[in-house]
Amino acid sequence: MMIPLIENETLKLLRRRRFAIVVAILLVILCMISYSQYRELRESRNANWRAELQERVARYENRLRRGRINESWARSMRAEVRRLQFYLDRGINPEQPTAPLVVRTFANAAGFLLLPLLVAVLGSDIVSAENAEGTDKLLLTRPVRRWKILTSKLITLWLFASLTLFLGALLSYAVTAPVLPATGWDAPSFNGFQFSGNGFNLDGVRQLPLWQDALLAYGLEWYALLAVSSIALMLSVMFKSSAASIGTMLASLIGGTILTRVSPDWTAGKYLFVSALPLADYYTGQAPPYDGMSMVFCITLLGAWAIGALLVAYALFLKRDVFG
Amino acid sequence: MTALSASDLTKVIGKRTIVDGASFDLRPGEVFGFLGPNGAGKTTTIRMLVGLIKPTRGTVTVCGFSLRSQFEKAMRCIGCIVENPDLYRFMTGRENLEHFTRMLGVKASEIERVAALVNLSHRLDQRVGTYSLGMRQRLGIAQAMLGSPRVLILDEPANGLDPAGIREIRELLRSLAVDHGLAVFVSSHLLAEIELTADRVAIIHKGRILRTGTVGELISSQRAMELRVDDPERAAAIVRDLGGTVTIANDLLLLPVEQSETPSLLAALTRGGIAVYYARPRVQTLEEMFLEATGGESVD
Repeated sequence: MMIPLIENETLKLLRRRRFAIVVAILLVILCMISYSQYRELRESRNANWRAELQERVARYENRLRRGRINESWARSMRAEVRRLQFYLDRGINPEQPTAPLVVRTFANAAGFLLLPLLVAVLGSDIVSAENAEGTDKLLLTRPVRRWKILTSKLITLWLFASLTLFLGALLSYAVTAPVLPATGWDAPSFNGFQFSGNGFNLDGVRQLPLWQDALLAYGLEWYALLAVSSIALMLSVMFKSSAASIGTMLASLIGGTILTRVSPDWTAGKYLFVSALPLADYYTGQAPPYDGMSMVFCITLLGAWAIGALLVAYALFLKRDVFG
Repeated sequence: MTALSASDLTKVIGKRTIVDGASFDLRPGEVFGFLGPNGAGKTTTIRMLVGLIKPTRGTVTVCGFSLRSQFEKAMRCIGCIVENPDLYRFMTGRENLEHFTRMLGVKASEIERVAALVNLSHRLDQRVGTYSLGMRQRLGIAQAMLGSPRVLILDEPANGLDPAGIREIRELLRSLAVDHGLAVFVSSHLLAEIELTADRVAIIHKGRILRTGTVGELISSQRAMELRVDDPERAAAIVRDLGGTVTIANDLLLLPVEQSETPSLLAALTRGGIAVYYARPRVQTLEEMFLEATGGESVD
């Protein structure tokens, strides 16, 4: 019974051209990334990367010595210094762009805002559009229980969030492979630079082939996107107009991101789902904005938000009276 | 044998009672008119009939199934359009119908049948956004007829249609009831429309059903004689002396008497020197009856 309902939702999502917009946005952004990486590649061929890394380390250390920067920034700066030092010690150029590296970087770069935004565009009006267009009256007066209808929408949304991520990875390779070195999937990749106390802990550093590392990053991102889609579904149920639900989703993504950067002292901010969203960044070793945000904490937090959002969405959708 | 039975349907929101104890039965093969001014509670009642709004009190039974506890079985018996025929404008007529056949789990061949029924086969592959209101209304009915329901519920189907469109819908509804044996429920604020379409009528005002009956019953219960005379005031006095009741409207005498009583009455008036120009039975229209029942509030 669920398959035909999912088929319906898929058809409506495609016909509303939401997914086409998402793919178009991805393509434009990836083309721009690809071009900038290509320029970087040309320049890096002549440049001395070792000297460049050393210069960056020196720059960070200078700023740290001068002080007057807030603690969260200082912390991530110290972390970055240790990371660069690690590459320098081992004679690895972390900046040499290759297509596989772009694919890997895309998980982090897009994961913290772009992909959640795109998923919000896909999902925030999956229920509210039916409200706004009046078609909910037809949808809910068929011999199908309401929970089945909402579940079919949720599954469709999850499918498209997954597809968006997959397409992001696929396109980032397809667009960059013609202009950058296309191989290098087995290049060593370092992860697990952990920040502990005020020191930088190198014990947890693992060396993985790039493809494994990328799979892990994309896996984490996938989990984060499923959580974002669940929250988008809740907003879509809560608001009657598509504009209100998409707007609220975008505002909470962007506002939350700004908040975590601007006021790291307000520690309750770590319970916002946005704080836990850049899972792939934290996996790579970027310090989270608040203390006590371990990977397990972030994953649990996102899961809790998703479950909470779904509970609200189902409770509202199953109980509410549908007026005009 | 009832196709749908509503009993004591009540909806209270906050302190406001929108619908108050509405009860009625729909029988197969009849068009049931649901008549009331805008804001009387028609749409809220319909929304309770089709499960969009949960009644505060009361029950709905469709084809013997409780709407609340056997929702899927009950809804399989109902096809409906609530308010406007809002379909997915960005899809074609056929895609819309396919969408609902998938929800119902009925064969795709149903689409051709219902499209032919509402005479829409030739436009089925165009986007609904390009349809006229009349065509969307017909597509809405086609959608409602998928899966061969026993009860068809339509909210103001004549709204926004031109006279030809209204007539077309009316004939379609009559044929669905008479030829296909459906119980058709039609709400309207247009008396003339209901009088022409419906077999039985319920009149709703301020959330309460004031009367229910066949169109004929409601009208015949209001029989009267209408007389034009040269001096209405004096004629009225003569009638009252005889112990009758009379009202004067537009210089006409209205007498709530049967035809058999008329000759003696006329003789009495003539004896009293009143010139009677004519006397005729007056059949109160649904409109007049409605005005009387609702205390004179306008119904367009």
